[in-house]
Amino acid sequence: MEAIKCTNVVKKYGGRLALDHLSTEIPTNSITGIVGRNGAGKTTLLKIIAGLTRETSGDIQVLGAHPFNSLQVSANSIFIDDVLSFPNTLTLLDILKEGERFYPNWQMDLARRLLEYFEMPEQMVHSYLSKGKKSTFNAVFGLATRSPLTIFDEPTTGMDASVRSDFYRALLKDYLAHPRTILISSHHVDEIEDLLEYVLLIDLGKTKLHKEIDDVRSFLIGIYGRTELLEHWVKEREVYYRRRIGDTETYVVIENHVEKEELEKLGFKTEAISCSDACVYVTNQRKGGIDDVFTRR
Amino acid sequence: MILQTDGQTPIYIQIAHWLETQILTGAFIAHEKVYSQYQLADMLQINPATAAKGLNVLAAEGILYDKRGLGKFVSEDAKRHIKEKRKDGLLHELMEQIVEEALYLDVSKEELTSIVENVYQEKRDRKNGSH
Repeated sequence: MEAIKCTNVVKKYGGRLALDHLSTEIPTNSITGIVGRNGAGKTTLLKIIAGLTRETSGDIQVLGAHPFNSLQVSANSIFIDDVLSFPNTLTLLDILKEGERFYPNWQMDLARRLLEYFEMPEQMVHSYLSKGKKSTFNAVFGLATRSPLTIFDEPTTGMDASVRSDFYRALLKDYLAHPRTILISSHHVDEIEDLLEYVLLIDLGKTKLHKEIDDVRSFLIGIYGRTELLEHWVKEREVYYRRRIGDTETYVVIENHVEKEELEKLGFKTEAISCSDACVYVTNQRKGGIDDVFTRR
Repeated sequence: MILQTDGQTPIYIQIAHWLETQILTGAFIAHEKVYSQYQLADMLQINPATAAKGLNVLAAEGILYDKRGLGKFVSEDAKRHIKEKRKDGLLHELMEQIVEEALYLDVSKEELTSIVENVYQEKRDRKNGSH
Protein backbone atom coordinates (compact mmCIF):
# COMPACT_ATOMS: atom_id res chain seq x y z
CA MET A 1 0.00 0.00 0.00
CA GLU A 2 1.21 3.49 -0.77
CA ALA A 3 0.99 6.24 1.83
CA ILE A 4 1.18 8.93 -0.82
CA LYS A 5 0.08 8.94 -4.42
CA CYS A 6 0.64 11.95 -6.68
CA THR A 7 -0.63 12.00 -10.24
CA ASN A 8 0.27 14.87 -12.55
CA VAL A 9 0.49 17.37 -9.72
CA VAL A 10 0.99 20.94 -10.92
CA LYS A 11 1.71 23.96 -8.74
CA LYS A 12 2.01 27.43 -10.19
CA TYR A 13 3.36 30.43 -8.31
CA GLY A 14 2.46 33.44 -10.42
CA GLY A 15 3.44 32.36 -13.89
CA ARG A 16 6.18 30.01 -12.73
CA LEU A 17 5.70 26.25 -12.60
CA ALA A 18 7.04 24.96 -9.27
CA LEU A 19 5.69 21.47 -9.92
CA ASP A 20 5.25 20.35 -13.49
CA HIS A 21 2.96 17.30 -13.72
CA LEU A 22 4.81 15.45 -11.01
CA SER A 23 3.77 11.86 -10.36
CA THR A 24 5.05 9.56 -7.66
CA GLU A 25 4.07 6.92 -5.14
CA ILE A 26 5.57 6.54 -1.67
CA PRO A 27 5.10 3.16 0.04
CA THR A 28 3.79 3.02 3.61
CA ASN A 29 6.40 2.57 6.35
CA SER A 30 9.49 3.49 4.42
CA ILE A 31 12.07 6.26 4.60
CA THR A 32 12.42 8.26 1.41
CA GLY A 33 15.00 10.95 0.76
CA ILE A 34 13.69 13.87 -1.30
CA VAL A 35 16.64 15.38 -3.13
CA GLY A 36 17.13 17.95 -5.84
CA ARG A 37 18.78 21.26 -6.63
CA ASN A 38 17.72 24.54 -5.07
CA GLY A 39 14.35 25.51 -6.49
CA ALA A 40 13.63 22.04 -7.89
CA GLY A 41 10.27 21.90 -6.12
CA LYS A 42 11.08 19.77 -3.06
CA THR A 43 9.54 22.05 -0.44
CA THR A 44 6.49 22.76 -2.61
CA LEU A 45 5.85 19.04 -3.00
CA LEU A 46 6.30 18.37 0.71
CA LYS A 47 3.96 21.20 1.65
CA ILE A 48 1.28 19.94 -0.71
CA ILE A 49 1.64 16.44 0.72
CA ALA A 50 1.28 17.83 4.25
CA GLY A 51 -1.81 19.77 3.20
CA LEU A 52 -0.23 23.16 3.91
CA THR A 53 -0.49 24.32 0.30
CA ARG A 54 -3.06 23.49 -2.32
CA GLU A 55 -2.00 22.10 -5.68
CA THR A 56 -3.04 24.01 -8.80
CA SER A 57 -4.13 20.83 -10.57
CA GLY A 58 -3.58 17.10 -10.55
CA ASP A 59 -4.56 14.39 -8.11
CA ILE A 60 -3.04 13.72 -4.73
CA GLN A 61 -3.95 11.18 -2.06
CA VAL A 62 -2.25 11.11 1.34
CA LEU A 63 -3.21 8.38 3.82
CA GLY A 64 -6.31 7.84 1.73
CA ALA A 65 -7.50 11.47 1.69
CA HIS A 66 -6.99 14.69 -0.19
CA PRO A 67 -4.55 16.51 2.12
CA PHE A 68 -5.56 20.17 1.78
CA ASN A 69 -7.88 21.16 4.65
CA SER A 70 -8.09 17.55 5.78
CA LEU A 71 -8.23 17.08 9.54
CA GLN A 72 -7.47 13.41 9.08
CA VAL A 73 -4.20 14.15 7.25
CA SER A 74 -3.38 16.93 9.66
CA ALA A 75 -3.77 14.74 12.75
CA ASN A 76 -1.73 11.94 11.22
CA SER A 77 1.13 13.92 9.77
CA ILE A 78 3.72 16.44 10.80
CA PHE A 79 5.73 18.83 8.66
CA ILE A 80 8.98 20.04 10.20
CA ASP A 81 11.22 22.69 8.70
CA ASP A 82 13.55 25.34 10.02
CA VAL A 83 11.02 28.16 9.87
CA LEU A 84 8.38 26.34 11.91
CA SER A 85 7.09 28.93 14.34
CA PHE A 86 5.60 28.52 17.79
CA PRO A 87 3.93 31.23 19.90
CA ASN A 88 6.43 33.44 21.70
CA THR A 89 4.65 33.23 25.02
CA LEU A 90 5.05 29.47 25.34
CA THR A 91 8.02 27.71 26.91
CA LEU A 92 9.43 24.58 25.29
CA LEU A 93 7.55 22.48 27.83
CA ASP A 94 4.30 24.32 27.05
CA ILE A 95 4.80 23.56 23.38
CA LEU A 96 5.33 19.88 24.15
CA LYS A 97 2.12 19.87 26.18
CA GLU A 98 0.23 21.37 23.24
CA GLY A 99 1.74 18.64 21.04
CA GLU A 100 0.38 16.08 23.46
CA ARG A 101 -3.11 17.56 23.15
CA PHE A 102 -3.18 17.35 19.38
CA TYR A 103 -1.16 14.31 18.35
CA PRO A 104 -2.70 10.95 19.31
CA ASN A 105 0.66 9.10 19.33
CA TRP A 106 2.55 11.82 21.20
CA GLN A 107 5.62 10.61 23.15
CA MET A 108 6.07 13.02 26.04
CA ASP A 109 8.72 10.96 27.76
CA LEU A 110 10.84 10.67 24.61
CA ALA A 111 10.51 14.39 23.88
CA ARG A 112 11.64 15.41 27.37
CA ARG A 113 14.53 12.99 27.42
CA LEU A 114 15.72 14.25 24.02
CA LEU A 115 15.51 17.88 25.18
CA GLU A 116 17.56 16.99 28.22
CA TYR A 117 20.12 15.15 26.09
CA PHE A 118 20.45 18.11 23.73
CA GLU A 119 20.77 20.44 26.74
CA MET A 120 17.69 22.55 26.13
CA PRO A 121 16.04 23.89 29.29
CA GLU A 122 12.30 23.21 29.26
CA GLN A 123 11.57 26.73 30.50
CA MET A 124 13.27 28.38 27.51
CA VAL A 125 11.17 30.36 25.04
CA HIS A 126 11.36 29.03 21.49
CA SER A 127 12.19 32.36 19.85
CA TYR A 128 15.27 32.80 22.08
CA LEU A 129 16.82 29.60 20.80
CA SER A 130 19.78 29.78 18.42
CA LYS A 131 19.25 28.66 14.83
CA GLY A 132 20.76 25.24 15.49
CA LYS A 133 18.81 24.74 18.72
CA LYS A 134 15.57 25.75 16.99
CA SER A 135 16.15 23.09 14.34
CA THR A 136 16.95 20.59 17.08
CA PHE A 137 13.79 21.39 19.02
CA ASN A 138 11.66 21.19 15.87
CA ALA A 139 13.21 17.83 14.99
CA VAL A 140 12.51 16.53 18.50
CA PHE A 141 8.92 17.75 18.19
CA GLY A 142 8.63 15.90 14.85
CA LEU A 143 9.93 12.66 16.31
CA ALA A 144 7.70 12.93 19.39
CA THR A 145 4.49 13.17 17.34
CA ARG A 146 5.27 9.68 16.02
CA SER A 147 2.98 10.59 13.14
CA PRO A 148 2.18 7.90 10.55
CA LEU A 149 3.48 10.43 8.02
CA THR A 150 6.48 12.39 9.24
CA ILE A 151 8.01 15.00 6.94
CA PHE A 152 11.34 16.69 7.59
CA ASP A 153 12.24 19.50 5.20
CA GLU A 154 15.96 20.25 5.63
CA PRO A 155 15.71 19.34 9.32
CA THR A 156 19.39 19.78 10.13
CA THR A 157 19.87 23.40 9.02
CA GLY A 158 22.14 25.07 11.56
CA MET A 159 22.75 21.90 13.61
CA ASP A 160 26.38 21.09 14.27
CA ALA A 161 27.83 17.82 12.99
CA SER A 162 27.45 16.03 16.26
CA VAL A 163 23.80 16.99 16.74
CA ARG A 164 23.05 16.04 13.11
CA SER A 165 24.43 12.58 13.58
CA ASP A 166 22.62 12.20 16.93
CA PHE A 167 19.37 13.28 15.31
CA TYR A 168 19.71 10.75 12.47
CA ARG A 169 20.52 8.07 15.03
CA ALA A 170 17.43 8.97 17.08
CA LEU A 171 15.32 8.98 13.93
CA LEU A 172 16.47 5.52 12.88
CA LYS A 173 16.07 4.01 16.36
CA ASP A 174 12.54 5.36 16.72
CA TYR A 175 11.69 4.21 13.19
CA LEU A 176 12.95 0.68 13.92
CA ALA A 177 10.77 0.48 17.02
CA HIS A 178 7.79 2.25 15.43
CA PRO A 179 7.82 2.09 11.61
CA ARG A 180 6.07 4.97 9.85
CA THR A 181 6.30 6.78 6.54
CA ILE A 182 9.12 9.30 6.66
CA LEU A 183 10.14 11.84 4.03
CA ILE A 184 13.39 13.76 4.51
CA SER A 185 14.71 16.40 2.19
CA SER A 186 18.36 17.30 2.41
CA HIS A 187 21.15 18.85 0.43
CA HIS A 188 23.55 16.48 2.13
CA VAL A 189 22.58 13.20 0.54
CA ASP A 190 25.74 11.52 1.78
CA GLU A 191 24.62 12.20 5.36
CA ILE A 192 21.24 10.56 5.05
CA GLU A 193 21.70 7.95 2.34
CA ASP A 194 22.30 5.02 4.69
CA LEU A 195 19.02 5.75 6.45
CA LEU A 196 17.04 5.69 3.26
CA GLU A 197 15.15 2.95 1.52
CA TYR A 198 14.26 5.11 -1.49
CA VAL A 199 15.51 8.26 -3.16
CA LEU A 200 13.16 10.58 -4.99
CA LEU A 201 15.13 13.03 -7.11
CA ILE A 202 13.15 16.05 -8.25
CA ASP A 203 14.33 18.31 -11.05
CA LEU A 204 12.46 21.23 -12.62
CA GLY A 205 9.30 20.24 -10.76
CA LYS A 206 9.27 16.68 -12.09
CA THR A 207 10.28 13.25 -10.82
CA LYS A 208 13.70 12.69 -12.35
CA LEU A 209 14.64 9.51 -10.55
CA HIS A 210 12.81 7.35 -8.02
CA LYS A 211 14.70 4.25 -7.01
CA GLU A 212 15.88 2.11 -4.15
CA ILE A 213 18.98 3.62 -2.63
CA ASP A 214 21.28 0.81 -3.81
CA ASP A 215 20.01 1.22 -7.36
CA VAL A 216 20.87 4.92 -7.27
CA ARG A 217 24.35 4.04 -6.08
CA SER A 218 24.88 1.75 -9.04
CA PHE A 219 22.94 3.83 -11.58
CA LEU A 220 25.95 5.59 -13.11
CA ILE A 221 29.53 4.61 -13.75
CA GLY A 222 32.61 6.74 -14.37
CA ILE A 223 35.06 5.65 -17.07
CA TYR A 224 38.59 6.86 -17.82
CA GLY A 225 40.35 6.11 -21.08
CA ARG A 226 42.29 7.35 -24.07
CA THR A 227 40.26 10.16 -25.61
CA GLU A 228 39.90 8.85 -29.21
CA LEU A 229 38.98 5.35 -28.09
CA LEU A 230 36.60 6.46 -25.37
CA GLU A 231 34.84 9.11 -27.47
CA HIS A 232 34.27 6.54 -30.20
CA TRP A 233 32.95 4.03 -27.71
CA VAL A 234 30.46 6.42 -26.03
CA LYS A 235 29.11 7.77 -29.32
CA GLU A 236 25.83 5.87 -29.00
CA ARG A 237 25.43 6.48 -25.30
CA GLU A 238 24.07 9.24 -23.16
CA VAL A 239 26.97 11.05 -21.46
CA TYR A 240 26.05 12.63 -18.11
CA TYR A 241 29.41 14.24 -17.58
CA ARG A 242 32.61 14.61 -19.58
CA ARG A 243 35.99 16.00 -18.66
CA ARG A 244 39.33 16.04 -20.46
CA ILE A 245 42.29 14.96 -18.39
CA GLY A 246 45.51 16.25 -19.87
CA ASP A 247 45.98 15.84 -23.60
CA THR A 248 45.30 12.17 -24.06
CA GLU A 249 42.70 11.02 -21.53
CA THR A 250 39.02 11.69 -20.98
CA TYR A 251 36.63 10.90 -18.15
CA VAL A 252 32.94 10.27 -18.84
CA VAL A 253 29.97 9.32 -16.70
CA ILE A 254 27.32 7.11 -18.31
CA GLU A 255 24.57 4.74 -17.24
CA ASN A 256 25.83 1.55 -15.76
CA HIS A 257 24.73 -0.95 -18.44
CA VAL A 258 28.23 -1.98 -19.36
CA GLU A 259 30.27 -5.15 -19.31
CA LYS A 260 33.28 -4.63 -17.08
CA GLU A 261 35.26 -7.13 -19.18
CA GLU A 262 34.63 -5.22 -22.38
CA LEU A 263 35.94 -2.05 -20.74
CA GLU A 264 39.04 -3.82 -19.49
CA LYS A 265 39.79 -5.10 -22.97
CA LEU A 266 39.69 -1.53 -24.27
CA GLY A 267 42.01 -0.42 -21.50
CA PHE A 268 39.41 1.74 -19.74
CA LYS A 269 39.34 2.22 -15.99
CA THR A 270 36.06 2.44 -14.12
CA GLU A 271 35.00 4.24 -11.01
CA ALA A 272 31.87 3.95 -8.90
CA ILE A 273 29.63 7.01 -8.66
CA SER A 274 28.23 7.74 -5.19
CA CYS A 275 24.58 8.46 -4.60
CA SER A 276 25.10 12.18 -4.10
CA ASP A 277 27.33 12.47 -7.18
CA ALA A 278 24.77 10.55 -9.23
CA CYS A 279 22.09 13.05 -8.20
CA VAL A 280 24.35 15.93 -9.23
CA TYR A 281 25.24 14.40 -12.59
CA VAL A 282 21.65 13.54 -13.41
CA THR A 283 20.44 17.08 -12.75
CA ASN A 284 23.48 18.90 -14.16
CA GLN A 285 23.17 17.47 -17.62
CA ARG A 286 21.34 20.31 -19.27
CA LYS A 287 23.94 23.00 -18.73
CA GLY A 288 27.33 21.34 -18.78
CA GLY A 289 29.79 21.90 -15.95
CA ILE A 290 31.21 24.89 -14.13
CA ASP A 291 34.29 24.64 -16.34
CA ASP A 292 32.17 25.79 -19.31
CA VAL A 293 31.62 29.16 -17.63
CA PHE A 294 35.36 29.75 -17.76
CA THR A 295 35.78 28.60 -21.35
CA ARG A 296 35.96 31.50 -23.78
CA ARG A 297 33.55 31.25 -26.62
CA MET B 1 32.13 -3.27 10.75
CA ILE B 2 32.59 -0.01 8.87
CA LEU B 3 30.45 0.36 5.75
CA GLN B 4 32.01 1.82 2.61
CA THR B 5 29.58 4.25 1.04
CA ASP B 6 31.65 5.14 -2.03
CA GLY B 7 29.33 3.05 -4.19
CA GLN B 8 31.96 0.49 -5.12
CA THR B 9 30.06 -2.33 -3.37
CA PRO B 10 26.37 -2.06 -2.51
CA ILE B 11 25.69 -1.87 1.24
CA TYR B 12 23.62 -5.06 1.27
CA ILE B 13 26.47 -6.97 -0.36
CA GLN B 14 28.87 -5.60 2.26
CA ILE B 15 26.49 -6.82 4.96
CA ALA B 16 26.28 -10.25 3.38
CA HIS B 17 30.11 -10.41 3.18
CA TRP B 18 30.46 -9.36 6.77
CA LEU B 19 28.00 -12.00 7.98
CA GLU B 20 29.85 -14.60 5.92
CA THR B 21 33.08 -13.61 7.63
CA GLN B 22 31.36 -13.86 11.01
CA ILE B 23 30.35 -17.41 10.10
CA LEU B 24 33.85 -18.28 8.86
CA THR B 25 35.46 -17.04 12.07
CA GLY B 26 32.98 -19.01 14.16
CA ALA B 27 31.16 -16.01 15.63
CA PHE B 28 28.03 -17.80 14.42
CA ILE B 29 27.91 -21.59 14.25
CA ALA B 30 25.63 -23.95 12.34
CA HIS B 31 21.95 -23.66 13.35
CA GLU B 32 22.60 -20.52 15.38
CA LYS B 33 20.31 -17.53 14.91
CA VAL B 34 21.98 -14.56 13.19
CA TYR B 35 21.15 -10.88 13.66
CA SER B 36 17.68 -9.75 12.59
CA GLN B 37 17.28 -6.99 10.03
CA TYR B 38 16.39 -4.63 12.87
CA GLN B 39 19.46 -5.52 14.91
CA LEU B 40 21.65 -5.02 11.85
CA ALA B 41 19.99 -1.69 11.06
CA ASP B 42 20.56 -0.49 14.61
CA MET B 43 24.17 -1.75 14.74
CA LEU B 44 25.17 -0.28 11.38
CA GLN B 45 22.90 2.80 11.30
CA ILE B 46 21.24 1.74 8.04
CA ASN B 47 17.72 1.30 6.74
CA PRO B 48 16.21 -2.05 7.83
CA ALA B 49 15.19 -2.76 4.23
CA THR B 50 18.85 -2.66 3.21
CA ALA B 51 19.74 -4.98 6.07
CA ALA B 52 16.96 -7.37 5.00
CA LYS B 53 18.37 -7.43 1.48
CA GLY B 54 21.75 -8.51 2.85
CA LEU B 55 20.13 -11.34 4.82
CA ASN B 56 18.06 -12.39 1.83
CA VAL B 57 21.14 -12.71 -0.37
CA LEU B 58 22.53 -15.28 2.06
CA ALA B 59 19.18 -17.02 2.39
CA ALA B 60 18.88 -17.29 -1.39
CA GLU B 61 22.33 -18.91 -1.53
CA GLY B 62 21.39 -21.39 1.18
CA ILE B 63 23.92 -20.03 3.66
CA LEU B 64 21.10 -19.01 5.98
CA TYR B 65 17.71 -20.63 6.38
CA ASP B 66 14.41 -19.24 7.57
CA LYS B 67 12.45 -20.37 10.58
CA ARG B 68 9.08 -18.80 10.26
CA GLY B 69 8.59 -16.05 12.80
CA LEU B 70 11.89 -16.81 14.49
CA GLY B 71 14.39 -15.30 12.10
CA LYS B 72 17.31 -16.54 10.03
CA PHE B 73 19.68 -19.32 11.07
CA VAL B 74 23.08 -20.57 9.85
CA SER B 75 22.79 -23.62 7.58
CA GLU B 76 24.51 -26.90 8.34
CA ASP B 77 27.13 -26.56 5.60
CA ALA B 78 27.30 -22.75 5.49
CA LYS B 79 31.03 -22.62 6.18
CA ARG B 80 31.98 -24.99 3.34
CA HIS B 81 29.62 -23.16 1.00
CA ILE B 82 31.13 -19.75 1.79
CA LYS B 83 34.70 -21.00 1.41
CA GLU B 84 34.02 -22.48 -2.01
CA LYS B 85 32.20 -19.39 -3.19
CA ARG B 86 34.85 -16.99 -1.98
CA LYS B 87 37.70 -18.97 -3.52
CA ASP B 88 36.08 -18.56 -6.92
CA GLY B 89 34.94 -15.02 -6.33
CA LEU B 90 36.54 -12.65 -3.87
CA LEU B 91 39.92 -14.37 -3.66
CA HIS B 92 40.23 -14.44 -7.41
CA GLU B 93 39.27 -10.78 -7.74
CA LEU B 94 41.73 -9.67 -5.08
CA MET B 95 44.43 -11.77 -6.73
CA GLU B 96 43.83 -10.01 -10.03
CA GLN B 97 44.25 -6.65 -8.33
CA ILE B 98 47.47 -7.79 -6.69
CA VAL B 99 48.96 -9.15 -9.90
CA GLU B 100 47.95 -6.01 -11.78
CA GLU B 101 49.67 -3.81 -9.21
CA ALA B 102 52.76 -6.05 -9.34
CA LEU B 103 52.91 -5.69 -13.12
CA TYR B 104 52.72 -1.88 -12.82
CA LEU B 105 55.62 -1.97 -10.39
CA ASP B 106 57.68 -4.45 -12.47
CA VAL B 107 57.64 -6.93 -9.62
CA SER B 108 58.73 -10.31 -10.94
CA LYS B 109 56.73 -13.47 -10.45
CA GLU B 110 59.39 -14.78 -8.06
CA GLU B 111 59.35 -11.59 -5.99
CA LEU B 112 55.58 -11.68 -5.84
CA THR B 113 55.56 -15.33 -4.79
CA SER B 114 58.01 -14.62 -2.01
CA ILE B 115 55.90 -11.73 -0.74
CA VAL B 116 52.87 -14.01 -0.73
CA GLU B 117 54.83 -16.69 1.15
CA ASN B 118 55.97 -14.21 3.79
CA VAL B 119 52.54 -12.73 4.35
CA TYR B 120 50.97 -16.20 4.40
CA GLN B 121 53.48 -17.36 7.02
CA GLU B 122 52.95 -14.26 9.13
CA LYS B 123 49.14 -14.48 9.11
CA ARG B 124 49.14 -18.21 9.79
CA ASP B 125 51.53 -17.83 12.74
CA ARG B 126 49.40 -15.08 14.17
CA LYS B 127 46.24 -17.11 13.73
CA ASN B 128 47.77 -20.22 15.35
CA GLY B 129 49.30 -18.12 18.12
CA SER B 130 45.98 -16.59 19.01
CA HIS B 131 44.31 -19.97 19.52
